[in-house]
Amino acid sequence: MRNVLILLKKEYLRFVVDKPAVILTFLLPAVLIFIFGLIFGGNGGVQSKIPIVFVRNSDEPIAKFLESKLDSSDAIRLVKSYKKEGEKNERKIDEATAQKLVKTGKYSTALVVPADFITDTSSSIHLKMYYDPANEVEFSLIQGVIQKTIFTQLPQLFPLLFQKQIIKPLQGLKRKKFNSDIADVVSKYFGVPKEKILESMDFSKWDSKELLKGGNNTGDNFISKIIRFESKQLVGENIANPGVTRSVGGWAMMFLLFSITGAASSFFEEKQEGSLKRLLCMPVRRSQLIWAKYIFTITLGIVQLLVMFVFAWLVFGVDIFSNFGNLFIVIVASAVAAVSFGMLITSVTKSYQQANGIAMVFILVMSAVGGSWFPTFLLPGWMQTISRLTINYWSVEAFLQVLWRNAPFARIALPVLILFSTGFIVNFYALVRFRKGNIF
Amino acid sequence: MLEISGVVKNFGEIEALKGVDLKIEKGEFFGLLGPNGAGKTTLLNIIIGYLIPDEGTVTINDEALVYENLEIKKLFGYVPQEIALYQDLTAVKNLEIFGALYGLQGKSLKGKIEEVLQLVQLDHRKNEKIKNFSGGMKRRLNIAASILHDPEFLLCDEPTIGVDPQSRNAIFDLLQSLNKKGKTILYTTHYMEEAERLCSKLAIIDNGKIIALGALNELLDKIDKKTTLLIDKNDLTLQKRESLKSLGEVKENDFYFEIIPSEKFSKNSLLFSELEKLQIPDKFVELKKASLEDVFFKLTGRKLRD
Repeated sequence: MRNVLILLKKEYLRFVVDKPAVILTFLLPAVLIFIFGLIFGGNGGVQSKIPIVFVRNSDEPIAKFLESKLDSSDAIRLVKSYKKEGEKNERKIDEATAQKLVKTGKYSTALVVPADFITDTSSSIHLKMYYDPANEVEFSLIQGVIQKTIFTQLPQLFPLLFQKQIIKPLQGLKRKKFNSDIADVVSKYFGVPKEKILESMDFSKWDSKELLKGGNNTGDNFISKIIRFESKQLVGENIANPGVTRSVGGWAMMFLLFSITGAASSFFEEKQEGSLKRLLCMPVRRSQLIWAKYIFTITLGIVQLLVMFVFAWLVFGVDIFSNFGNLFIVIVASAVAAVSFGMLITSVTKSYQQANGIAMVFILVMSAVGGSWFPTFLLPGWMQTISRLTINYWSVEAFLQVLWRNAPFARIALPVLILFSTGFIVNFYALVRFRKGNIF
Repeated sequence: MLEISGVVKNFGEIEALKGVDLKIEKGEFFGLLGPNGAGKTTLLNIIIGYLIPDEGTVTINDEALVYENLEIKKLFGYVPQEIALYQDLTAVKNLEIFGALYGLQGKSLKGKIEEVLQLVQLDHRKNEKIKNFSGGMKRRLNIAASILHDPEFLLCDEPTIGVDPQSRNAIFDLLQSLNKKGKTILYTTHYMEEAERLCSKLAIIDNGKIIALGALNELLDKIDKKTTLLIDKNDLTLQKRESLKSLGEVKENDFYFEIIPSEKFSKNSLLFSELEKLQIPDKFVELKKASLEDVFFKLTGRKLRD
């Protein structure tokens, strides 16, 4: 027993002095629990509203009423105008622009209240929805929020709709007068007070649930008769494996960060085994050693990403060839950015263990926040801002544009530019750090 | 010629080198002897350009060593303490990489690789991965990688650590043959036996300072006694023990009487005649010559391996 206690003490001592192990054991899970808690626990502040494009082409009071209700939703934000590049003022979004904004990936959904939102001959309302299911979760959420908003407003919507349909055939008769005349007749022949009859004719107090009673199908049929959704998927309708196509970029980026950081921090191994010192006493410049490692890790990263995408093509049928040029550009940009991250970690740490421990924390947090694991819209607003500081975010965005939207270069130019600039700036800083750091 | 003048190097509050001056002439086998942590490796790291001194200069053939002077680096071959080789590669592949970095290529590189592999007697294992080599073989290849480019100076940083006696002798022979061929060798060690065996000139370094410098004999002259007599205690009668005092100054430990002979016994023949008179059998007697260990002890009050 004594020996067990001594050995136990030894285990604890060794664990406590191994800082990376302590970080990975306690800090990393805490950070990840914090992030997941913010997403699913709702304790991280205000969840930001999901923006959807909204176009109203009907001036019917019901359309305005619906718009006002959607406007006050906690879950979505209606985007009704936009500023075109080079223009000072914002312009109102029309239906064609709404489609374009969805197609280019600026917004995932557009809700259009068309001119024939409600017709004299129809007893239902007509809505159009254009969508890009690049992000399946986000799209499902938006769809749910719109439907919920409309359905919860049914008690108000339905009487308005009903009255409109009744008043039209009566031509010219004012609704109040019509109601009053009817109440007079009923009161006269049935002896019911006129005020009570008028009260019961106030449609706005009707309970929609009552209307929906009568079995599941009846309710659904009833709703579908009242609200006619015309949905159109604008992007990715011909993609063979949407799920994998959407997620492959995020996962690829995360694994790339792991392997590249390992390769970059191999400087520490070389230092420990003495080969780095041998190289440094040869006619070799320090900068040459760093550049060789830099170029090696970039090529390794490019090959690794290519292999991952080819695997996705072979096994899941992800189309990587129809936009291969742009895919390759994003691969190179992602590799450059990932390598700079690995070089930075190596340049600021003191040992292989420390480098790997810190890298592990950063990679997992960046992957969680940057969109490699789940869509960033799920994060609170402030964390969405942070997510834009991660290379995962820009890489995932660019891969999505290329693979999902088959986008031309112009549409990936910004993320590619950000990835390249991040790569070069961070790598330059790492080079400076290498001179002052612990490796050389 | 390699000249080190007033070299100071600090690591934070630790003063690793406190103004070191050394001059190593062409063709010398120069030993830098000192205990662990004395500053040997730091000094070597400065010479090879791995560290930059805080103060002082290093000149090679009258040319000052400046940061990343690639031409000067070609004059050096460095044998590190560690097995600084790529363990997953074969001996030949390792030598190809290091040789190429010294500017060797094509037939010249291949020829040099064959030559050094024969010299270190590893030509029969040249296509095997280094991780399969014994410790001694790795050490020999470690040296081979440093002499590929035929350097003028060979800097060896304790190159026999963890090596069996047979391999150690092989390494000594190799280094001595290289020295005979004209290579100037700077050899750091904390084994006085190695220094005594190999080095024509020695510096003893302790706490970042050179405390003694010269040929082996010159260093040994720093101590009064050249020889010590060790006599086994066990089989000596009390009377005989008393008689030992006639030989000189007597110290006693658990197993031996340690005697520093007086002036009249400066010659060994006289000493042994006296022992015979005292009827002390030869088998109980050991003559211990003065060593660098004694020099170090006299200068510092500590043993080399303390």
